[in-house]
Amino acid sequence: MATEIGNVSALKRIAIMVGAGYVPGINAVIIGAAMAANKMGWELVGIRDGFEGLLNPEKYPDGGLLILSPQLIDTIDPSAGCVLGQSPRVDPFNVRIVDEMDMVEEVDMSDDLIKKLKDENIDSLISVVGARGLTIIHKLHRKGLNTVCIPRSIDNDIASTSVSFGFNSALTFTIEMLDSARQGAQAIRKIVVVEVQGEEAGWIALQSGIAACADVVLIPEIPVDLKMVAEKLKNKISARRPYALVVVAQGAKFINLTKKAEADPALKASLSPLATSESNSEHVIQSSGQAAETVATELQQLIAEETYPLVIGPWVRGSSPTAVDRQLGMAYGAGALQALKAGKDGTMVAFVPPEIKFVPLAEAINKVRTVPADSELLKIAQSLGIYCGK
Amino acid sequence: MTNQTNNLLDLKGTVLNIQRYCSHDGPGIRTTVFLKGCSLRCKWCSNPESIRKRPELSYDLNKCKGKACSLCLKAPFPEGAFYFVDGEDAHVKVNWHLAMDIDTEMALLCPTGALEMFGKIMTVGEVLDEVEKDSSFYRNTGGGMTISGGELMFQPDFAAALLQEAHNRGFNTAIETASNIPWANIEKVLPHVDTMLHDIKLMNSERHKKWTGVGNERILANLKRAYETFSDIDFIARTPLIPGVNCDDEHILGVLEFIKPHKNVIDYELLPYHRFGLGKYELLGEVYELDDYKTPSDEVVKRYQAMIDEAFGRKKETPVN
Repeated sequence: MATEIGNVSALKRIAIMVGAGYVPGINAVIIGAAMAANKMGWELVGIRDGFEGLLNPEKYPDGGLLILSPQLIDTIDPSAGCVLGQSPRVDPFNVRIVDEMDMVEEVDMSDDLIKKLKDENIDSLISVVGARGLTIIHKLHRKGLNTVCIPRSIDNDIASTSVSFGFNSALTFTIEMLDSARQGAQAIRKIVVVEVQGEEAGWIALQSGIAACADVVLIPEIPVDLKMVAEKLKNKISARRPYALVVVAQGAKFINLTKKAEADPALKASLSPLATSESNSEHVIQSSGQAAETVATELQQLIAEETYPLVIGPWVRGSSPTAVDRQLGMAYGAGALQALKAGKDGTMVAFVPPEIKFVPLAEAINKVRTVPADSELLKIAQSLGIYCGK
Repeated sequence: MTNQTNNLLDLKGTVLNIQRYCSHDGPGIRTTVFLKGCSLRCKWCSNPESIRKRPELSYDLNKCKGKACSLCLKAPFPEGAFYFVDGEDAHVKVNWHLAMDIDTEMALLCPTGALEMFGKIMTVGEVLDEVEKDSSFYRNTGGGMTISGGELMFQPDFAAALLQEAHNRGFNTAIETASNIPWANIEKVLPHVDTMLHDIKLMNSERHKKWTGVGNERILANLKRAYETFSDIDFIARTPLIPGVNCDDEHILGVLEFIKPHKNVIDYELLPYHRFGLGKYELLGEVYELDDYKTPSDEVVKRYQAMIDEAFGRKKETPVN
């Protein structure tokens, strides 16, 4: 039954979906959205596992949609894993399927998705997504989907918002891990190279590196020559301090790397058309662990002390949400409902202190919030003697 | 020219590339026609541009003039498909989700050729006219036309028409296939084939599913049925040899056990894994999943080749002092 609160008069059915990859604080977003929806007299339903619960409901014995009633919300632990499950990386415009003929194929299921939302009487969709997901949702919006996005990023690389939820938890966890790595480096008397999150933006590496008193911090924004890093480390390492901590972001870029051995030319006989030489582009995000491995291996050739690569990797996603992220999550969830109530369809909720703003999706995409060259944080790092490539 | 032949020549398909002077895709000097579309998703694939059937955009950073041009940031290109980031980087960035709607006509507007399409629609007649150019080589070397992919039998009518027309023109025909297709597709194509080069990527079905996306039951059933049904065709089995995936005794011996009862399987070739496709993943804005894998060592390849030679009764040549 419709409840009239304020200027909201009609019962609306809103859905919420969470894109691929767990980020600490997601349950807080869901709880915040559900509480705000309840206050407006709207119904909020959660789609299980990204869009899976909608596209393939037969997979779920209890249905692909979960009604987020006040009674259910009371039982959700804000610090636990996502109540809606985990999504594989899915782009509804390019869904990989195995058809009845056992052939693998990518198909466009965007029309099907929008139709299923209509069939379920869902008026609008709240999409909790990262930078990649924003574009997909923007494309769906251009096809007629009513939606408001909530930015989530443990790298804090979404440009239109000052802080994405999940970042603070990831940063806190990374600092704890670096503290342990630093003690480990002291114990084993080695240069420990720790790879942390950050494909395009070095916020986590820089901020955690400062907090953990790292000797070197390498971020994607500043390509470095590892020979220079080696020189700096030689100056820092001594008989009394025979260890060092190097923090490297996953997407850090290196210049003048030792060239890999040429491939056996005989193999080129089996080359396919348009084949090119082995990639040496800096534009491909390497697999997890590669940055630490590259730095550790290269330094090993340039410096007498032994190096030891470590990767925090997906562990950071399993960290508990901090107080900051729980508050942010609740605020983002409630903010999405405010946007829908205000008719701000096709926007992203942005936290620009002290305000919550609604940024059009077309303006939110194609931007990365990177560490600027004149960042105060970089200046702080330099004043502490932390080498950042400059 | 009869109506039937006319119809055959007018049939259209999606062609990735036509490569002349090939010597590894069947007997003699050959022209290999690569069709687009594949029914597997092998993680080591060195031809990612052949996977999807539709023509698709590629972007070559090295050919792009970046901010000095900026044409792709304006209409008719889709809004947001190309952009610049703040700072010193003058390179155009591609939002692949928005750029995937760009067609051949639009890509041609790029003045430097940084934007190109992988794949174009061609008729059987157009393809054969290209193949015809090297007909003298085919006659002198026993070569002809090979159709490869992707999976050529993903477009069975087009592939069958190409092969039939090649035979009509007196060319030897060969195909390269992974055979993960319905038998009905195979039945259309094989009557026009002289040599069939076919992969056997993994004998273990679970592992096949892990690395290619589907199990191998249908592939093996298709191959067995093809060996038995088309006794005039020369079959050559192949394995892309990848350490950590299938570079082991179990697989090589399993393949030999599978093919040896069939006398029309005349050889088993090993294709050592290479990483030359990596650059093409970048052109398509994709990330290569098999980044950590290495090419097999010469010693390993030689050992397995010796096993194959022995199975096929080929004696190792003794060096003359």
